[in-house]
Amino acid sequence: MTKVKICGLQEQQHVNAASRADAIGFVFAPSRRQVTIAQAAELAKHIPVDTDKIGVFVNASLQEIEDTVAGVPLTMVQLHGDEPDELVKAIRVPVIQAFSIRTKEDVEQLKNSLADYILVDAPGTEYRGGSGNVFDWSLLDGVGIDPSRLIVAGGLTPENVRAAIEQTTPYMVDVSSGVETERRKDTAKILEFIKQVKDDSVEQTIEKTGFFGKYGGQFVPETLMKAVKELEDAYNEVKEDPEFHKEYHHYLSEYVGREQPLTFAKRMTEAYGGPKIYLKREDLNHTGAHKVNNAIGQALLAMRMGKRKIVAETGAGQHGVATATICALFDLDCVIFMGEEDIKRQQLNVFRMKLLGARVESVTKGSATLKDAVNEALRYWVANVEDTHYLIGSALGPHPFPTMVRDFQSVIGEETRRQILEKEGRLPDAILACVGGGSNAIGMFYPFIQDKEVELIGVEAAGQGVDTDKHAATLTKGTEGVLHGALMKLLQDDAGQVQEAHSISAGLDYPGIGPEHAYLADIGRVEYRSITDDEALAAVISMSRLEGIIPALETAHAIAEAEKQAKSMTKEQILIICVSGRGDKDMATYAENLEGLS
Amino acid sequence: MNRLEQLKKSGNKAFVAYIMAGDGGLDRLKDQVQYLQRVGVTAIEIGIPFSDPVADGPTIEAAGNRALKKGVTLQKVLAELQSWTFEVNIPLLVMTYLNPVLSFGVERFATECSKAGVSGVIIPDLPYEHKQLVQPYVDKEGIKLIQLVTLTTTDARLDAILHEAEGFVYAVTVKGITGSRDEMSQDVKAFMQKVREKSPVPVYAGFGISKSSHVDLLRDDVDGFIVGSAIVEAFNAGEIEVLEPLIHAVTASHSV
Repeated sequence: MTKVKICGLQEQQHVNAASRADAIGFVFAPSRRQVTIAQAAELAKHIPVDTDKIGVFVNASLQEIEDTVAGVPLTMVQLHGDEPDELVKAIRVPVIQAFSIRTKEDVEQLKNSLADYILVDAPGTEYRGGSGNVFDWSLLDGVGIDPSRLIVAGGLTPENVRAAIEQTTPYMVDVSSGVETERRKDTAKILEFIKQVKDDSVEQTIEKTGFFGKYGGQFVPETLMKAVKELEDAYNEVKEDPEFHKEYHHYLSEYVGREQPLTFAKRMTEAYGGPKIYLKREDLNHTGAHKVNNAIGQALLAMRMGKRKIVAETGAGQHGVATATICALFDLDCVIFMGEEDIKRQQLNVFRMKLLGARVESVTKGSATLKDAVNEALRYWVANVEDTHYLIGSALGPHPFPTMVRDFQSVIGEETRRQILEKEGRLPDAILACVGGGSNAIGMFYPFIQDKEVELIGVEAAGQGVDTDKHAATLTKGTEGVLHGALMKLLQDDAGQVQEAHSISAGLDYPGIGPEHAYLADIGRVEYRSITDDEALAAVISMSRLEGIIPALETAHAIAEAEKQAKSMTKEQILIICVSGRGDKDMATYAENLEGLS
Repeated sequence: MNRLEQLKKSGNKAFVAYIMAGDGGLDRLKDQVQYLQRVGVTAIEIGIPFSDPVADGPTIEAAGNRALKKGVTLQKVLAELQSWTFEVNIPLLVMTYLNPVLSFGVERFATECSKAGVSGVIIPDLPYEHKQLVQPYVDKEGIKLIQLVTLTTTDARLDAILHEAEGFVYAVTVKGITGSRDEMSQDVKAFMQKVREKSPVPVYAGFGISKSSHVDLLRDDVDGFIVGSAIVEAFNAGEIEVLEPLIHAVTASHSV
C-alpha cells in the first residue's frame, strides 16, 4: 500500500493529526515552513515509533545534515538542491533525492540518482520542487522508474491523491501545501488526506507492520523472534486460504455449536425502559465462553505449522478450559499456567482442565494472577519454542497475536451484524462488551468499526473504584508502556514498573489492554467506561432474574453499563450486549458475595 | 568499548559480570563494582530491576524483586552511578527492560547514562526490528546499544543484526531464560563459531554460564563470557569469593 508523508510540519497539533501517516517531514532549508533542530526534536517526541522522520535540506553541508540527523533524530534525509553524489553516498540514513519534472528528459535523469528514493515534483520557486503545483504524471509512464523507489509530490490534495496513486503507483505520496488553508497546516485536511490514501481502513494501516497507530509491535526477547516471525508468516498464509477457513468454520458449527443466537431480551428491555436490548449469546458456546472461537483457530494454525505442543495462560480459567478442550480434541500436548490466586478462585475450571488432560502449573510469583501467568507462559515458550505454540487467549501480545485473535473472534461481530439486519433491518445504535485484555470486545466491535453510526462501548473493571488502587481500568487510568510483547496502555508506576490490577472477576484483572483497543480509544472510535465490583455483582442478580441467564462476572460489567446506557436511549433505538460467557465458573464467588443481596 | 576491541586483538578473553542493582540495597552497588573491578573482570553489566522480566530465570527475577522491594528504580541507579567519586576503569553497561526506559524517557535515559559513565546498554525485549526506538538517542551520546543473537536467530537475521552490531555481540547460549545450567549443549559451539566468523565486533557468550567446564567448552569460539545468575547468587549468599576461580579461568592469559 502506498505510504503517506506529511511535510513541513511546525505545530504539535498537526503532528498529532498526522499520527496515521507513515512519514513526517521537517524543513530545515530557508522556507516559511522552516524549523530548527530543537523545534523538530520537540515535535518528534509526539510522533509514533514506526513513523519515519524525514529532514528536508537544500545544499546543506554533510556536517549540518549529520548534526540534524543526530539532533532530532531523523530516520531519513530528503535533498532538494544540487547535492553531489558523494554527499548522497556519505549520509548514513536512507536518502530521498528530489527532482523537478517538466519533460521526459527530466525523468531520464532520475535513473542516475544514487539515492534510495527519488521524489518527483513540479518545478518550484520556494525551494526546488516545492511549488504546490501538479505536474503531468503521465511523464512517468514507460520510462522504467522503479515504483518502489518513487515518491510523488507536487500539488497533491485530498481530492486528487487517489488519482495520482492510481496513475503512478508510487512507494509514497508527499503532501505539504495541499493540506494547508491560508498557508497554514489544516488538521481536517491532514486527516482527510491520510484517509483518502489509506481508504479509511483501520485494517490496511496496521497489518503490514503490526502496529495499530503507535500501539502494538513485537517487543520480545530475541529467542522468540523466530517463532513470532514464523507465526506471522503462517497466519498471513492461512488468512488467504479458503481451506483453512472452511476447516475453522466446520469446527465452529459442528463442535462449538455456532451460530449463536442474538436473543431479544424482552424483560430487560421493559425493565430498563429504553432501547430494544439484544444479547449476543457467546455463553452458549461449548465450554461456556467466547474463548473457544480463538482456541480452535490457533490450534488449527499450530498444527499447520507442525507444532503439537501448546502452552497457554489463563486468568478466570475460561481460556484454559477452551485450550485444554481443543487440545483434547486434536490430541495436542497442553500446559496451562495459572496464578495461584486464580487457582483458588476458579477451582471448578482447574478441575475441568485437568480432567481434559492438561497440565496446570501454579504460578506463585508477583500477584499470582493473570499477568504473572503470562510471564511464566512466555518463559516456557522461550525455552520450548521449537515445538511449542503459545496459544494467547486475548487480543494481546506481540504481533500477529492481537490481529489474529481479533480475526478469530470477529465471528461474534459478523454474526451479530447479519442477525440484527435480519431481525430489525438496520444496524444497532449501541454495542457493549466487557474488556479485560479485550478479545470478546474486539471480536464484537471489529465488523462494526466502519459503521460510524453504531456507538461502540467497552467496559472495563473499576474494581473497588478507579480512584482507589484496586482496579483494572487500563484505558481509564493507564499510560503508554510495553508489556508482554506490545506497546499498549498499562497500569504502571512512575518508574515504569507494572502494577497489579484488581477486579472481583479473575478474567478482567490484567494491567494491560490489547493494542487495538488503545488505538480505538485514542482515535475516539470506541468509548471505554468502567464498572465497579459491586455494580457488576448487582447486574448478575438483575440479569439472572430478568432473563434467566446467569452471566459470567466479566459479562456482568457490560450488563451493568448497559443499564446506565439505556437511560439515555429511546424506545426506537437498539442496544446489543455481548454476553461473553456464562456464570457457572463464578458460582463460588456469587455464593460468597451475593447471599446478603438476594 | 575500545578496550573490548583491544582485548580481542590481544587474544585474551573478556569476563563480563552481571549484578542486580539494589539487591541487598543500593548502597551495596558501589562495593560490588569496586570488588569486581579489583578481582579483574573486564566489564560490569548493571541490571535494573523490572516487575516483569520475561527473559530472566528465577535467580535474577528473585534478585530483582528484592531490589524492587527496596524501592530501587532506574533513576536511582543512574543517580547512584553519577555520585561515585572512585575511578571506574572498566566499561559499565546497563541492562534494563524497555518499559522502565520508555517511562523514564528514552532521550533522558541516554543523556543520564552518559553522565553516569555508562558505555553500553542492553535491552532484551527491544529486538533488532524496533531498535530505532532507542538507537538514535544512544548514538547521540556515544553509547553502544548491544544486540543479542540466539540459537533461534535465523541466518538472514543474524547477518542483518551483525551488520549493525556495535560494542560486542551478546550471544545467548541457551534456548531459554537466564540461569545456571549443568550442561552446555554441543550445538552451542557451532553456533558461536558461526557468529564469531561473521561478527565485526567481539562475541561474548551469556545465559547459563556458571562453571569452568562451560568456559573450557567455548573458550576457543568466543571472545568472552557474561556471567549473571551465578554472581547474583554468590553476592546474595555473601560468598562472592567462590567465583574468583571462574573469573580467573576466563581472564588469565593462555599461551597458545
